[in-house]
Amino acid sequence: MMTLAQLGSDVSWMAIAPELVLALGAALVLLIDVQFKPKTGGSLAWTTGFVLAAAFGFALAQWLRLADIPISERFPFGRMVIVDGTGLLARFVLLVVTGLAVATGWRLFERLGRRRAEALALILLSAAGFQLMAVSVHLVMMFMGLEVGSIALYVLAGITRERADSDEAAMKYFLLGSVASAVFIYGVALTFAGTGSLNILEQNQFLTQNILLAPGVLLVGLALCIIGLTFKVSAAPFHAWAPDVYQGAPAGLVGYMAAAAKVGAFIALWRLVDLGFPTMRASWAPVVAGIAALSMVVGAVLAAVQSDVRRMLAYSGVAHAGFILTGLLSGIDGIRGVWFYLAVYTLQLVGAFGVVAAVTGASTSRSAISDFAGLGRRQPVLAVVFSTLLLGMAGLPLTSGFIAKFGVFQDAWQAGFEWLVIVAVLASVIAFFFYLRVIVTMFMEEPSGDDHASVGVVARWVLALVAIVTVVLGILPAPLLELAGDAVAR
Amino acid sequence: MTVTPGWYMTLAAVLFAIGLLGILVRRNALIMFMCVELMLNAVNLTFVAAGRALGLIDGQVSVFFVLVVAAAEVVIGLAIIVAVFRQRSSASVDELSGLSG
Repeated sequence: MMTLAQLGSDVSWMAIAPELVLALGAALVLLIDVQFKPKTGGSLAWTTGFVLAAAFGFALAQWLRLADIPISERFPFGRMVIVDGTGLLARFVLLVVTGLAVATGWRLFERLGRRRAEALALILLSAAGFQLMAVSVHLVMMFMGLEVGSIALYVLAGITRERADSDEAAMKYFLLGSVASAVFIYGVALTFAGTGSLNILEQNQFLTQNILLAPGVLLVGLALCIIGLTFKVSAAPFHAWAPDVYQGAPAGLVGYMAAAAKVGAFIALWRLVDLGFPTMRASWAPVVAGIAALSMVVGAVLAAVQSDVRRMLAYSGVAHAGFILTGLLSGIDGIRGVWFYLAVYTLQLVGAFGVVAAVTGASTSRSAISDFAGLGRRQPVLAVVFSTLLLGMAGLPLTSGFIAKFGVFQDAWQAGFEWLVIVAVLASVIAFFFYLRVIVTMFMEEPSGDDHASVGVVARWVLALVAIVTVVLGILPAPLLELAGDAVAR
Repeated sequence: MTVTPGWYMTLAAVLFAIGLLGILVRRNALIMFMCVELMLNAVNLTFVAAGRALGLIDGQVSVFFVLVVAAAEVVIGLAIIVAVFRQRSSASVDELSGLSG
């Protein structure tokens, strides 16, 4: 039994410094707004940027001295939080994605008026939530992170509440999201009943030391946990909310909403199945493989029939969730491929939604593919950036998407899921079709109607940078792959 | 016959199933929302029963966290429902059909 004094010595603020900085930063943004009532968003933008940079700095400092941290200090706060490379890499991705989303969606924040401080604070808070989710090895802690992140996203989906579509998106996201959260926490309660612990590592210890004669409750609990988390990453058959939410929520925020939830939930899912329940692999692996196969097929086929770019990106997100789940099947080392995939895909996702927001307006909800007709002539930079990002998502060789797909497929093949890799390759081929359709529309068709496309200077540079990174990582992926490999080793 | 924690967990499972069924069949956003609350309270009952059976305080402590999260969800959820109601004068989810394709 742990005494209070022992608990006190267990506190390591450095271990959760990035999250603390983000939460305090959110409060700071709100205070600045209340105190100085800035007419333009400049000061808030700088504050947000500074907060994100500070959080990144703390994460980086921890990364640099990670090898020196003894194993006894790796699990602070009563073994609720884990200090490891994977958690730090998840934070790097989340912080970069958050920064990019704010930079590319800044048009929206300008238009939100006095509500922009709330939106920025909510983004920072939700980033803190998803980061906590990615570094927790305690299931209730994971639930809290999930909820802090998700509840902020429900509000962000409806932040332009004058638009009926935004309300509708918020309501759908909220109702389905809270059901998923309830399913997840019920799963947690059942695994607690089955193993006598809420800590993932202790659960694993219990399962390796005991032979369960009646593991029914535990298996149901694990299944419910997996369902709850796959809902958050919009994997089929729990993807129904994604297209509506991506379409209805303000375009300037969708990229962040999609990317952040995916990073947090995938890392949490990896920790749950590969750190907590490797002993029950025979039970969960077929389920995860089934969800992955269904996601890839459903996502690719339904994306091909969409006429709205955002719905297409939503369904392609379903397919990508399937690809990433494929990587989760290859055991504890699979995190390397999963992380790389998450990093490059979320980057492309935020970039792609940045372009959509620039072309169709940051707060609208309609973004028909025909709106992109002739973009190659109207806005050559945007068109080239968007094409690069779409080809990256499609997994064309010489883009980062190819390396990412190759990595997870290779891992899954070696883990003995040959059939799944074949399904994945077929789904990738279908996926090529709908990505190419948008590119053809941009370059081959005549512009129709008015030209609303406009993009700020900062957003233009940021988007160009994302496209360049996509290509560079496709040609020279080694540094990032080594970084991911390092993370597993640490 | 004594009522063992297993009975409580069975009751919780039934409550959870009722909540889930309610989400699927009811069309009023407020009722659906109440069903979510029912599911969360079923979770609380499971936590308490399991904690009692195992002799661990973790179960009871977890309930506080679930309660706080449920309260936060109420705040956000009712605000969203009110916003939707103002736009459409109806809290039925069947009205929410603007986004499709």
